[in-house]
Amino acid sequence: MRGFGDLETVIMHMVWDHDGPATVRELFDKLRQERAIAYTTVMSTMDNLHRKGWLDRAKEGKAYRYTATASREEYSARLMREALTGGGDAEMVLSHFVADMDGAESEALRTVVRRLAGRGSE
Amino acid sequence: MKPALLVFGYGLVVAWCLPALLTRLTAAGLSARLGLAAWLAAMVSVLASVLSAIQYLFTAAVTGWPHLAEAVCRSVAGGACTTVVYRSAFFELALGVAAIAAALALAVLAWRYGRRVQRAQRRTRAHAEAARITGRRLPGGAAVVLDAARPAAYCVPGRPAAIVLTSAALAVLDPGQLAAVLAHERAHLAGRHHLLIGLTRGLAATFPGVPLFTQAPAEVARLAEMCADDAAARRSSRPMLVAALLAMGTGAAVPAAALAATTCAVSARVQRLLEPAPRGRYVGNRVALVAVILLLAAVSVLVTCYAGPLAAHGLGLR
Repeated sequence: MRGFGDLETVIMHMVWDHDGPATVRELFDKLRQERAIAYTTVMSTMDNLHRKGWLDRAKEGKAYRYTATASREEYSARLMREALTGGGDAEMVLSHFVADMDGAESEALRTVVRRLAGRGSE
Repeated sequence: MKPALLVFGYGLVVAWCLPALLTRLTAAGLSARLGLAAWLAAMVSVLASVLSAIQYLFTAAVTGWPHLAEAVCRSVAGGACTTVVYRSAFFELALGVAAIAAALALAVLAWRYGRRVQRAQRRTRAHAEAARITGRRLPGGAAVVLDAARPAAYCVPGRPAAIVLTSAALAVLDPGQLAAVLAHERAHLAGRHHLLIGLTRGLAATFPGVPLFTQAPAEVARLAEMCADDAAARRSSRPMLVAALLAMGTGAAVPAAALAATTCAVSARVQRLLEPAPRGRYVGNRVALVAVILLLAAVSVLVTCYAGPLAAHGLGLR
């Protein structure tokens, strides 16, 4: 069962992949081909995304045309920056797999890898 | 007064002297989970003792107010302190204001601590949601993948939580190593390590200059990593996990087969995975840590349960 949050993801990716601004109708028509979904569900999800700042919209006739406020790459870069700096004042609690590796340690690890690679090829 | 000083003194000793012992006992990460418990027990114990001391002082102040007023007056003014002075409304008012100010200061500290922890939590949740929306699903849905040139893997608590991998991390990990990384991150989430680290950081920010609280965040984080390493090693294997650590740390793919031969140890994390200590050292370390935890727990319980009765008793004798 896919949750509601999951639909936000699917719709954002559709908007990013869409050529130019997208209407609810356009995305609904695409979504309907792969899952049973109501038009109002798509509309309220896009409204949510707009409220949360993910989508911009402009009225065109009776319908809204939606665009992403930033590209997927920009969001990825922003997230990585936040993840690597810890989020400034109110520090986020993220557990990195390897976080606290300073230059010396990473250099030492590199030496081990080189030695291992050498041994492996012998 | 004496019991309060005793309880407060105990808190000071734990806060200033215990970090050195705990750091030594937990440095090698022989029993990461017990080490984590010992640090937490020390922090809870200090908080409990300080609160008990305050509670004692408060009880004493309320029940023995005239005597307290006299004692404070004499200690400040000496011979110049007469009955007229310390029974004056002005003096009583000044003491009352001082007490209220102290209580307010404490309340502000508690409020700031709560806000800090809450704000960090909100940001973390927002990050998890943004990662879920932006990232691509890893087949199987175990993690989301963000496009980035730098190998990174981390978990974000939230509802639901998210494990985030970068595309560069996926590129350097083979399937076995990837499973080890995922097991490591899942162990963080299952063990609620983010809560421990978040609360500890909040305490450090609230009580700057207290060694136990300032040193705890780094130590708790380090031991949490080792706990997650242990869980991941049980799920996959030690060599697999070390290979994953090396690959992620250096950004280069590591052939797992080559690792079996190595005796090189780099960081403490890699070292404890590659060269487990002899059994005797594990047992000794465990016994020492359990002893510390039991001692802390026993004294804390004594202090918190008997501070009230002790206060009443002390006043009765005086």
